[in-house]
Amino acid sequence: MIRMAMMLLFLLAAATMVPAVAMADDRACFSCHERSGFSGRVVHEPVAGGRCGVCHNPHVARFKGLLRQRQDTLCYSCHRRQKETFARGVVHEPVADGRCTGCHTPHAGSGRGLIRKDLAGACFACHQDLERKYRYTHQPYAGGQCGSCHRPHRADNLELLVEDGDRLCLTCHVEADLAGGHRDFPAAPAGCLSCHNPHGSSRRALVRDELHQPFRRGCGACHRPGGLTVARCLECHRGVQQQMLATHSHLTRQDGNSCLNCHSPHAGDTDALLRGPVRLLCVSCHLQTLSGYRKSASKHPDIRECNGCHEPHGSSHLAMLRGDGIEVCVRCHEDQGKFTHPVGPGVLDRQTGQVVTCVSCHNPMGTQYGYQLVRDGKKALCVVCHRAY
Amino acid sequence: MMELGSGRSRGREVDMMNRSPLQCGLLLAVGLCLVLAGQARGRSASGWQWSLVLKQDKVSDAMQMPTALFIDAGQEHYYVVDSGRNRLLSFDRKGNLLHIFNAGKGLKTPYDMVRTGNGGIWVVEKGKNSLSHIDLKARRITPATLRFHGALVYPDRLEAADSLYVLDKATGRIIAFDPGSLQARTSFACPNCAGGFVDFRIHDGMLWALDRGDRTVCRFRLDGTLEKVIPLDNRLNFPVSLAIGPSGSIYILDRHSRDIVVYDRTGRFRYRFLGRGISRGRLYYPVEIRFDPWGGLCVVDEGNARVEIFRR
Repeated sequence: MIRMAMMLLFLLAAATMVPAVAMADDRACFSCHERSGFSGRVVHEPVAGGRCGVCHNPHVARFKGLLRQRQDTLCYSCHRRQKETFARGVVHEPVADGRCTGCHTPHAGSGRGLIRKDLAGACFACHQDLERKYRYTHQPYAGGQCGSCHRPHRADNLELLVEDGDRLCLTCHVEADLAGGHRDFPAAPAGCLSCHNPHGSSRRALVRDELHQPFRRGCGACHRPGGLTVARCLECHRGVQQQMLATHSHLTRQDGNSCLNCHSPHAGDTDALLRGPVRLLCVSCHLQTLSGYRKSASKHPDIRECNGCHEPHGSSHLAMLRGDGIEVCVRCHEDQGKFTHPVGPGVLDRQTGQVVTCVSCHNPMGTQYGYQLVRDGKKALCVVCHRAY
Repeated sequence: MMELGSGRSRGREVDMMNRSPLQCGLLLAVGLCLVLAGQARGRSASGWQWSLVLKQDKVSDAMQMPTALFIDAGQEHYYVVDSGRNRLLSFDRKGNLLHIFNAGKGLKTPYDMVRTGNGGIWVVEKGKNSLSHIDLKARRITPATLRFHGALVYPDRLEAADSLYVLDKATGRIIAFDPGSLQARTSFACPNCAGGFVDFRIHDGMLWALDRGDRTVCRFRLDGTLEKVIPLDNRLNFPVSLAIGPSGSIYILDRHSRDIVVYDRTGRFRYRFLGRGISRGRLYYPVEIRFDPWGGLCVVDEGNARVEIFRR
């Protein structure tokens, strides 16, 4: 009987101590940290419950802000469904990198989803190359409503568009009204983004700034019998023709004009008339390459411009590089081209008979080893060739 | 022969007789776990073993970016298209180099080839955007520019049966040409896909074509009728070539994953094997796979400048 009473007392004491510890956790924190900084119209559930310790270790931690784990690991420990959905399709870079607090405030905020006060400001903090204001600015863009066209986490469409380009435009613009502005259009207006910049332009109707020369003269320069084929483009762009006749090229489009995969035939933001930023165009097909790059522990620091190393039209070098595995690298890494492990003509890999180049040992698209080495540089990489060691 | 893919489960001999029942039980459990783990990764149980390599032994004269293989079953010869050095190499069935042929330095970026019954060779020359005929007896190359419905064709992959089947790189469409007149007879287009086909094979009187963008294999009758679309799964990274196995399995070469992914005839994943590297049995930038008539699975590796042949 006495033993049972003791046990009951112990259980009661334990039950009353748990909230006491949690409260102490909360109180101890706010004895230094100003409580007002953690209050708002919307308060994150653990903060509201005074459970600072869910995310922070009060004594010591390996992560900034005394976080117990990596930021995204912590977030996904509760937001489990999101972890699964955010892994599919086109994923926003901060999401892929696990930088949830780029857009969300972790403690308290004024908006739903704990979104930072100035969401557009958060967008522009990364997308610095976007102009904030144009002579003619699209209304949602001017109002900082990035979310009306783009999804913040992941999407099924490139550029994280909520819908496929044309359908998205038609959510606001009425199809019947568009005919008047497209009088020479041979069919129902389509491919809006081919001519219009959805953010803004110095031209009326948001027509992109640079016009294709033949388009300035009228439609007939290209739209004539014989079809809008690659050959039609190459009639003028002869410099590209040789690249198209290389071992590997980007001639890949069922309707026969692969130029249109990347270039707009009518108008663009730059004189290359690209349909979007280079990397975006590349990942529209090579999404898994970008995904592999992101997951790599060691990678070339900036691959924003894929065409810095790769020739987008065609090349007779591996991986459609602009030159061999040395030429491409030494344009920037000048010193490594002069003193390093012997590379170049005359230095042949005995196993394959191929010239040893920078990319024999490094993979700039990312590896799990330092300096983008394809194997562990302590030994494993070297003994592939130097077997006697 | 070197064993690939199944080393984890088979590479260790265990003397069960000298062990206690508990030890045996533990070992069996561990072994079973290893096998199951291997199968879960889909990297074991392939049974494919490295058998032969086709390459130029003289290192200073090694191939550069070989892009295609043709097998002459009658003569038991392999022909390799050495794109980087503008030449064709022939090997016997044992892998011995027989001839090196550059058509009097007349080839410009050859990419694929077939040899037809009359002793002639058809070569896709990308550098000339041509399907060229080499008459070996007359020692003459005749380039030909192909057209389909008035549009210029950019020849890429090539197969020969009753017609010359040419993959048009520009449209991803496969076009059957009359070998005599080079007039188009019929075509095979990918239904509802943006990029078109990237490779094809003629097997058992059917044309099988690989659609990279949608990760499907389309099976056509040779009259151009689409018979079946076989969806593959999303585990493929950058499929570039296909081969149809003797039992109807579909073998897909994944260039960026540097391996071969095998599906059954319905498109259900079975296993994958091989991996990245330069050593024997490893792949760097593989570009084509093809079965030879003797059960060998041949992989043309541009990056390692060789053709490796695997057998079960």
